[in-house]
Amino acid sequence: MSPIDPRLQEALDGERDPGDLTLDLREAYTRLTVATQMLKATPLLSVATRVMAEIRLGRPPVLNEGMARRLLHWWLGRPRAVTLRLRPVWTVALAAGLAAVLLIPWTNGGLTPGVAQGIANFVGHFPGARSVEVVGSFNDWSRGVLHLNDDDGDGIWHAEAVLPAGQHEYMFVVDGERWVPDPLAGRYVDDGFGAGQQNSLLIVRPASAQP
Amino acid sequence: MENRDEAPQPGVTGMVNDGAPADADVVARILGGDGEAFGILIRRYEPGLLRFATRMLGNPDAAADAVAESLVRAYRHLAQCRDPGRLRSWLYRITGNRCRSHLARRHTNDISLSDAPPLSDGSDTWAVLERGEQVALVERALAALPAEKREAFVLKHVEGMSYEEMAQVTGARIPTLKMRVHRAREALLAALEEVVR
Repeated sequence: MSPIDPRLQEALDGERDPGDLTLDLREAYTRLTVATQMLKATPLLSVATRVMAEIRLGRPPVLNEGMARRLLHWWLGRPRAVTLRLRPVWTVALAAGLAAVLLIPWTNGGLTPGVAQGIANFVGHFPGARSVEVVGSFNDWSRGVLHLNDDDGDGIWHAEAVLPAGQHEYMFVVDGERWVPDPLAGRYVDDGFGAGQQNSLLIVRPASAQP
Repeated sequence: MENRDEAPQPGVTGMVNDGAPADADVVARILGGDGEAFGILIRRYEPGLLRFATRMLGNPDAAADAVAESLVRAYRHLAQCRDPGRLRSWLYRITGNRCRSHLARRHTNDISLSDAPPLSDGSDTWAVLERGEQVALVERALAALPAEKREAFVLKHVEGMSYEEMAQVTGARIPTLKMRVHRAREALLAALEEVVR
């Protein structure tokens, strides 16, 4: 047995065009190729019935946690072809839906101001407070109507409300008993009770006038 | 001789061309309690496994035994399949191990070809040999190869595997497999030329 020409090995490995081989190498290539084709004949046997009968006798294999993880990893990680079949009428409906989503202005947090209304944002820093609410001229200074929230517990409380456009006076009520002006309001007016107390002043612009 | 048009591997593509489920999906079904789904995998891989085992053992009956034992073993240990997307490699690995066990029980790596027709005399040429004689001659030449080279040659040229997949099946390194395939080709070619000279 002698080594065969590297060019023949390359051709057999699919790395070289067999047409580039010399005549004798091409003959050897053909001989091996024909021999291989003969070996590719599939035996006319089947063990399917025998195997299925045998496995029906035993317990089914059990999916363990590691295998489940591997299956999930395989399923999530493999690219998959997705075929989407749409009727033309659905396509039009889908396009209309997309247009509606893209063209209709987003509302702020689900609040939809009407004509001559605007959205007011109330923010206050009250660390350690158990509750904060806002009362003002827009709700007849009534408590229990507009509560501020501090979901992450950082002491910063906030709320949003749709209010009539215009000027409003307001105060925060902390822990249900302490009335304090908004230190960030920037504008204040006398509360009119003669004790020198001030209410915070809020100017709400109509949403239609906002950019 | 490079197999460039081998069938798509269901586990890799996720879905075979005819819409049949991917290997990993079938494995998930089986592990979920649907044992009958194993029939899908048998139909998918049985022909190749039987061909591989027959070439390794030189005897269809022994090959059928090896493949049946391998498939039952694969079913019972399906949860241990590390990558269901490479199920084909895993099944070939199990079958290859069973073939090696069969060969070891014979105390020799050479396979028996007692049923094969005798070699033609030297006056024949390759072109005029009858088809049956040619097949027997090729089988005899393959049988004369050591088991490791025979396995590498069959996986490469009969089953059409890449060297990467062969490495998964055999556990051998790719350079080692290339060397085995090259040596097998040399031996096979030498045997064929000896007959037709």
